[in-house]
Amino acid sequence: MAISVVMPALEMAQETGKLLAWRKKEGESVRKGEPLLEIETDKAVVEVEAPGDGMLAGITADVGAVIPVGETIAWLVAPGEQPPVQVASAAPGARSRSGGAQQTRAATQAAAATKTAVANAPPEISPKARRLAKELGVDFALVRGTGPDGVITAEDVQKFADSKAAVPAPMARAMAPGLERPSQLARLMAERTTQSWTSVPHFFLVREVDANELLEAQKVWSDGAGKSQSTAGTITDLLVALVARALGRHPRMNASWTDEGIRANRDINVSVAVAVNDGVVGVVVHKADTLEIEEISTQRRQLTERARAGRLRPADITGGTFTLSNLGMYKVDAFSAIITPPQAAVLAVGAISERVVAVEGKPAVRPMMTMTLSSDHRVVDGARAAEFLSDLAGAMREPMKLL
Amino acid sequence: MPELPARELTFAQAVREALAEEMRRDKRVCIFGEDVAEAGTPFKVLSGLVEEFGRERVLDTPISEAGFTGMGVGAAMTGLRPVVDIMFGDFLTLTMDQLVNQAAKVHYMSGGTWKVPMVLRTTLGATRRSAAQHSQSLHAWLSHVPGLKVAMPSTPYDAKGLLKTAIRDENPVVFFEDKMMYKLKGPVPEQEYTIPFGVAEVKREGEDITIVATSSMVQVALGAAEMLGKAGISAEVVDPRTTWPLDEKTLVESAKKTSRAIVVDEGYGRYGVSGEIASVIAEGAFYSLDAPVKRMGAMHVPIPFSPPLEDVTVPTEQAVFQAARAMCGKR
Repeated sequence: MAISVVMPALEMAQETGKLLAWRKKEGESVRKGEPLLEIETDKAVVEVEAPGDGMLAGITADVGAVIPVGETIAWLVAPGEQPPVQVASAAPGARSRSGGAQQTRAATQAAAATKTAVANAPPEISPKARRLAKELGVDFALVRGTGPDGVITAEDVQKFADSKAAVPAPMARAMAPGLERPSQLARLMAERTTQSWTSVPHFFLVREVDANELLEAQKVWSDGAGKSQSTAGTITDLLVALVARALGRHPRMNASWTDEGIRANRDINVSVAVAVNDGVVGVVVHKADTLEIEEISTQRRQLTERARAGRLRPADITGGTFTLSNLGMYKVDAFSAIITPPQAAVLAVGAISERVVAVEGKPAVRPMMTMTLSSDHRVVDGARAAEFLSDLAGAMREPMKLL
Repeated sequence: MPELPARELTFAQAVREALAEEMRRDKRVCIFGEDVAEAGTPFKVLSGLVEEFGRERVLDTPISEAGFTGMGVGAAMTGLRPVVDIMFGDFLTLTMDQLVNQAAKVHYMSGGTWKVPMVLRTTLGATRRSAAQHSQSLHAWLSHVPGLKVAMPSTPYDAKGLLKTAIRDENPVVFFEDKMMYKLKGPVPEQEYTIPFGVAEVKREGEDITIVATSSMVQVALGAAEMLGKAGISAEVVDPRTTWPLDEKTLVESAKKTSRAIVVDEGYGRYGVSGEIASVIAEGAFYSLDAPVKRMGAMHVPIPFSPPLEDVTVPTEQAVFQAARAMCGKR
């Protein structure tokens, strides 16, 4: 029985997706779960996995075409089986919803995308680069090769590792005078934040916490298994774990407003805001409340790498039920974040910095951190949100329990 | 000591000086070959030697390579230190039994009783418009045989130092001179010196790619390195100087440092010296390499007489430059 390959819907508001590349050729066999195609939504570039085993047949979508979600673009068939005929007969040109000029651009991009796809699967890597990748703990599938024929060289691996390790330095972002045409991601960011800010009744709770225990826990954790710099856990990892566990005790913070009513979400999926080239992507650690801290750290690191390499998969950015945004590395003291609907809240975390505070009636210098919780007032009220924040602040005094 | 301005000699003069010095130093050293006496060889390398040392020590032979090479082996076994002159390396084919089955084996098969302290000087290299039987570079054949040492100087300095070492060696040494390089000038000190076998020299230091080159190809590699420098690629040129013994350590260390290597040798690219050196590097530096090791050598054809055709059969500066650039990911 033929299995249809459809343009997936990765988010509720998505209407179309652009086909960037087929990872398999017509007639090639594929196993369920293998990368089958690469698409671009208005949110990110993602790899789509094969929905089943079979031979790729009856491809109707050209690379570069913009296709409505849910539309069949190919079939996976058994050996000797023909793909259903009505799809094969559809005119390829009809798939494109874009105008003439865009069509040309799409075709140009398509050629480039095809070339990239060929070079990427599987990536060729030099012996030196392979050894270096192992030493630095770099997943070389995420590295873009610049050697002859796209081979990944040691320099590519080193640069990739450096870019990961680098603390974001204050960087001058160039902007030419005149009108800048936003990228698809930037345009979507503009639309969604406007929609959220104008339709979701936000309110904000601010709480300052002593981060000493958090810092201690991170130190113990990092020193623990003789970790190398690149695999050491971060404060963000600890926060994801603490937030997820607190959400388990406060399910209302993990709920969603819908027209029918307040929907309790079954899973606790913590979305972490990651800065990428032209905007922000929320990568999702699914069922974070059930994961050990090590697992959260590994997943968060891999998600971040994939986001920066533009290699996100559908599951990486979907299903978030609560967002954590940490601008501590930029030395921001405190900030208020905009909620990502249909989530009910977002926690904005500032830098940990030494401040003079009163401890038992005397001034003391402590590492302090300011958290700002933005909540949807249709889902939670001030008291409920405060209870959650208070519970979270309490858990932050005992982060060692996670290790 | 104040530094004296370096004296410059041609490659031919350096070879002649090495022979003259060794003949003065050791009365057992003598020369056999075609046109070696008054003619001083067609390349005029030996001019003046017969006048100083006489016809008994600088001996003209008939056109009989097998015969006088055998004579050299016998003379070496019985106490002399002959330097046999084979005008064109192509004529080595006639000396093979004497070299491969006799000279290379006698010491081993006699349990060390006999030794063959003989040097066989010959030439290699194309682009002299000498056609297919006078243009080959057959040093790989001799490098293949246990019991023979093979030296391949690339500068006047190396030619003199290596030839003196060859003459003093107790084993048979085959000494290849690039016939196109005899007029190349370079610094050669007045003072006595020798160069040990099995010690490569880094002719130019670099960071991005190693070009291993032998004999005639060293100057080509240096020219290519100069061009690469202008293109922003820092090339290291390494000359093994002897193909056996081979300084594997220096070759591997250089490739490890730069993580890329090209081997350029004027012998045929297939089954040749370039292949052997490329293997040594691949085995020794595999986990430090960013690209497969590339061989460059003569095309697998008889060397053509036609000048335009001949010129494309051997690696040029431009070809090495382009290969190196491609390997560094720049086109």
